[in-house]
Amino acid sequence: MWKYILKRLGWLVFTLFLVITATFFLMQIMPGTPFNNPKLTPDALAQLKATYGLDLPLWQQYLNYLIGAAHGDFGISFQYQNQPVSMLIGQRLPVSAALGAQALVVGVVAGLIMGAVSARNKNNKIDGVLGILSTLGISVPSFILGIVLVYLFGFQWPIFPVSGWGDSFSETILPTIALAVSPAAITTRFVRSEMIESLSSDYVQLAKAKGLSDKEIVNKHAYRNSMIPVLTLIGPMAAGLLTGSTLIEQIFSIPGIGQQFVLSIPSKDFPVIMGTTIVYAAMLMFMILITDILTAIVDPRVRLQ
Amino acid sequence: MSNPILKVENLHVNFNTYAGTVQAIRDVSFDLNKGETLAIVGESGSGKSVTTKTLMGLNAKNASIPDNSRLLFKDRNLLDLTEEEWQSVRGNEIAMIFQDPMTSLDPTMKIGMQIAEPLMKHREMKKEDALARALELMQGVGIPNAEEHINDYPHQWSGGMRQRAVVAIALAADPEILIADEPTTALDVTIQAQILTLMKKLQRETSSSIIFITHDLGVVAGMADRVAVMYAGKIVEYGTVDEIFFNPQHPYTWGLLNSMPTTDTAVGTLEAIPGTPPDLLEPPKGDAFAPRNAFALAIDSKEEPPFFKVSDTHYAATWLLDERAPKVTPPAQIQKRWARWQEIQGQEA
Repeated sequence: MWKYILKRLGWLVFTLFLVITATFFLMQIMPGTPFNNPKLTPDALAQLKATYGLDLPLWQQYLNYLIGAAHGDFGISFQYQNQPVSMLIGQRLPVSAALGAQALVVGVVAGLIMGAVSARNKNNKIDGVLGILSTLGISVPSFILGIVLVYLFGFQWPIFPVSGWGDSFSETILPTIALAVSPAAITTRFVRSEMIESLSSDYVQLAKAKGLSDKEIVNKHAYRNSMIPVLTLIGPMAAGLLTGSTLIEQIFSIPGIGQQFVLSIPSKDFPVIMGTTIVYAAMLMFMILITDILTAIVDPRVRLQ
Repeated sequence: MSNPILKVENLHVNFNTYAGTVQAIRDVSFDLNKGETLAIVGESGSGKSVTTKTLMGLNAKNASIPDNSRLLFKDRNLLDLTEEEWQSVRGNEIAMIFQDPMTSLDPTMKIGMQIAEPLMKHREMKKEDALARALELMQGVGIPNAEEHINDYPHQWSGGMRQRAVVAIALAADPEILIADEPTTALDVTIQAQILTLMKKLQRETSSSIIFITHDLGVVAGMADRVAVMYAGKIVEYGTVDEIFFNPQHPYTWGLLNSMPTTDTAVGTLEAIPGTPPDLLEPPKGDAFAPRNAFALAIDSKEEPPFFKVSDTHYAATWLLDERAPKVTPPAQIQKRWARWQEIQGQEA
């Protein structure tokens, strides 16, 4: 098992190298330069380029970046002067990750419960209502929902604060809901269909024939078996949530990493683009690794090797 | 012989579907005596499996059972039970062995735990005690080195071993009635024999009654004390195993026995009953078997035959037994069986 995890981590590093390479050269194709202020004299521009190492040949820039990245040095932001990228990410990623983790827990737990309820009430009213809710949850974009939540609970009935971060837990409630609805809806639908399949399986028939109650069957047999495919869904979902949502962070004025990533692209802030891309890629692969490990724990038929 | 532990009276089971009402069981009555094995045979769709599911209270939600149907077990009508009362019957007083061992065990639960589950439920045993008893049960059903395998998961076991585990689960709470729904169909022949021998042995040890559902007459001959033949949701003939095998009266029973190859069967020939069973959405008038029956009489398409008594233990629902019916000559193989029956009777007399 540990050998397997080490091997997977090795692959993770190799994949990151490929991601860095692809992103680095793709950025060179982008039109424009980071320093397009018309007031800059050619001398000043040359000075700036030299400061950031952009005057070197491309292969040397690439090598320098790789060597730096290997040492944990992701360069200095062009946009926020003298701010190392690692520091920028280090400040902003925890904010996004905390909010994302909160939304993930709320969304997945709600989805697991609603999916099971829906499956046990297959084709009756409760299932119908949950079906409509989950379809809405999937189709309404989170930023629209965010704005509606701000209007309802910040303006119409001002119960929760609508912006800010780090002062109180209540600030996190609205953005958490806005972020959690879509994962909750997706999980609900997935759990429902998996649970229905599991409840009609032979081993559930056998469990019924043992005299177990519906509740015992769901808790002891159906949940565990339905979780196996659901886990594969949660991995990428977690990666997406933990790395922040640009629009939700914008609406609720949350100083997360999502906002920073988007702003770095028009301003050609190469080191920040690179840094955030690496973080996203690493997070996704790490979550998939965690998912695989969890799957092996839940499903005895899966062996990690 | 008449010490019935279970009496099924006038059982009807209907399924309400979009296409209409499917009359899956149409007036079935039988007794099950203590310690005996009753085989219910018939082809697919004859209502064997619905009968067993009804006995376990496990029918689909769209099933409806009329009020005059009765399943009498220990002074109560099982059809009056609430779901909670059913739960105390299932796996406890009446247990079931399922058909396919490859799918009927939970792939994510340790086998020992799956055997212990009914004990924890019905005997209120603690987990450790239940697992200790599960180990004994595993040894009882012939699992080698059971103590090493109690924490195995189903995928680590072969089909035959898994079916032994399924048997152990059914026997865990010492049920009075064991329902075996084609328990060997999914197994290869050598393993089949092992499982059947095991069931016989365990039945002798526990003196439980078995309802054995199968379409395999070869298995019936070795296992059953009595046989009920089902067709289109009805029992058409029932009697002791010898009566059914050597003195069959219903043309459907003839057909079933005829389609079983014997040592006399010419190489390359396999007899079959022509046609398919009727649609139970609209069951035919009269004898449901008439359209497939080479010996059908005119009355068969008009009126349903009642049970005619052949002996105290043997009844058949065919107009051929009416005194007004013409004498028919059954297929050659059946005549041979009848001749053998005469010999047996002669020896006994």
